[in-house]
Amino acid sequence: MTSASDVSQTQPVVYVIDDDASVRAAIDDLLASVGLCVKLFASSAEFLEDRVADAPGCLVLDIRMPDQSGLDFQRHMKLVGICLPVIIITGHGDIPMTVRAMKEGAIEFLTKPFRDQDLLDAIQRGIQQDRVRRQQAALVANLRERWKSLTQGEREVMDLVVLGRLNKQIAAMLNVSEITVKVRRGHVMRKMQASSLAELIRIADKITESV
Amino acid sequence: MGIAVFRAWPAKSVQHLGMIGSFLLCIFILDTITDVEIAFAVLYVGVILLAVRFLSKRGVRVLATICIFLTILSFCLTSSGIWGAGIWNCLISLSAIGIAAYLALKIVDAEAAIHESHAQLARIARITSLGELAASIAHEVNQPLAAIATTANACRRWLDAHPPNVDKARQSADRIVHDANRASEVVARVRRWAEGQPALKEKLDLNKSIYEALSLAQQEIVGRNISLHLHLENQLPPVFVDPVQIQQVIANLLLNAIEAMLEGPSYNRQLEVTSRSESGKVLVAVADTGVGIPGDALDRPFDAFWTTKEKGIGIGLSISRSIIEAHGGRIWAMPNVNTGAVFQFTLPIEEETTR
Repeated sequence: MTSASDVSQTQPVVYVIDDDASVRAAIDDLLASVGLCVKLFASSAEFLEDRVADAPGCLVLDIRMPDQSGLDFQRHMKLVGICLPVIIITGHGDIPMTVRAMKEGAIEFLTKPFRDQDLLDAIQRGIQQDRVRRQQAALVANLRERWKSLTQGEREVMDLVVLGRLNKQIAAMLNVSEITVKVRRGHVMRKMQASSLAELIRIADKITESV
Repeated sequence: MGIAVFRAWPAKSVQHLGMIGSFLLCIFILDTITDVEIAFAVLYVGVILLAVRFLSKRGVRVLATICIFLTILSFCLTSSGIWGAGIWNCLISLSAIGIAAYLALKIVDAEAAIHESHAQLARIARITSLGELAASIAHEVNQPLAAIATTANACRRWLDAHPPNVDKARQSADRIVHDANRASEVVARVRRWAEGQPALKEKLDLNKSIYEALSLAQQEIVGRNISLHLHLENQLPPVFVDPVQIQQVIANLLLNAIEAMLEGPSYNRQLEVTSRSESGKVLVAVADTGVGIPGDALDRPFDAFWTTKEKGIGIGLSISRSIIEAHGGRIWAMPNVNTGAVFQFTLPIEEETTR
């Protein structure tokens, strides 16, 4: 299945699902000619059996497939938590189909036969998008790790600090002394690696956004 | 079994007209011999309602006129009874006949409207199936074409590389050839299916072919209350044809005729099959008393994707025409004498030596 033998961790992978062997081989050839790593699948089920590599990538998906239409699979992917950017290719695209694919989050909709450069551009865009998403996800995961290192008391203080409450108010609300609040607040700033209140607020936003 | 042209009025229609006539006569006699105030004429309403099942609109109007005429006639002929009440009862009878005829005509109209909407549905179904067929052929051809375009681009990229990767480019070119062959195979398959090339020519007795086709359709004929009339010429000259294809044509005509009659009422299903030779040709005709074809559309049945059947694709007769024309013959349709249609074809009689 894998066309390039040495897959390094960061080398992007392009997944192609198309039931037509000729089209599959042609796309494989085209992507190999520009040095992209390709994985080919004849059906969406085959794709699901394989594990998505821990590398930026994107998915080239044919709409017309025997077991499950590409559009249905696009929705199914979201349910099972695969968030690869999707490029739809189809032999007979109509407007409703295009609209549905774009609504489900496809980044490009190409009609066969497509211009090779259009597909390559879309793939590059998809990979770039996935790379950014992966970086974001990694950052958020890191922040959540930091947040997990906080004690219960420190978390309570942080929640109120980012809401803009004063130390005195927080002390009253949590029924502790103002000194305790100040100490916990210092721990929060250190553990969350925030240099200012503004930065702490941004960090808190990122953590809550990702939930 | 000599030659016979099916001109005879279908037996069932004669029966119906006889039944109506005798009802009219009975009512007329009773109405005339009884006293003038006894309104037997009201029973004409029953005759009209009975007749609407198998008469055309014009037939219903004629019948209503006859009933009104008979009512007035028996009123004039009757000599005994109370005149005052007689006139009123006569008027009541006349208006009852008028109302019944009016309502009966409404029913006929409504049935025609239903029939028209069925036809419309059939047209929509036909267009849909045509669209589906075209779409699937287009898809079949488009897949290899898309693969060719993409592989050709890949091939160019292999060649443009520094240094050029000739091995990879050659593999790409090989795949282009393979995909191009695949595309032309699809086209050839569609063409083979669309044409009915006469593959071989054998000596064939058309009567034998007709009997074989009838035996295939026997179940349908017996089970569906269809009466079969055969007018097959003895000593029919043989033709030189592809027997399987010609039998397909005959079977197709028979099944069409049967299906056309199944849509109509069950009391008048007459299937007539005729064969005869005439001036260097052999003619086979299949006549039915089914829904028929509108006079202005007699050529349409042979168009591809034209059908009157709700689930038909409309290619049977189109293929039949290709087959008959490929054999140097002709196929055409015409209206049957009373109702229904006649489909017939001719094939040239060839001497074996001329081939």
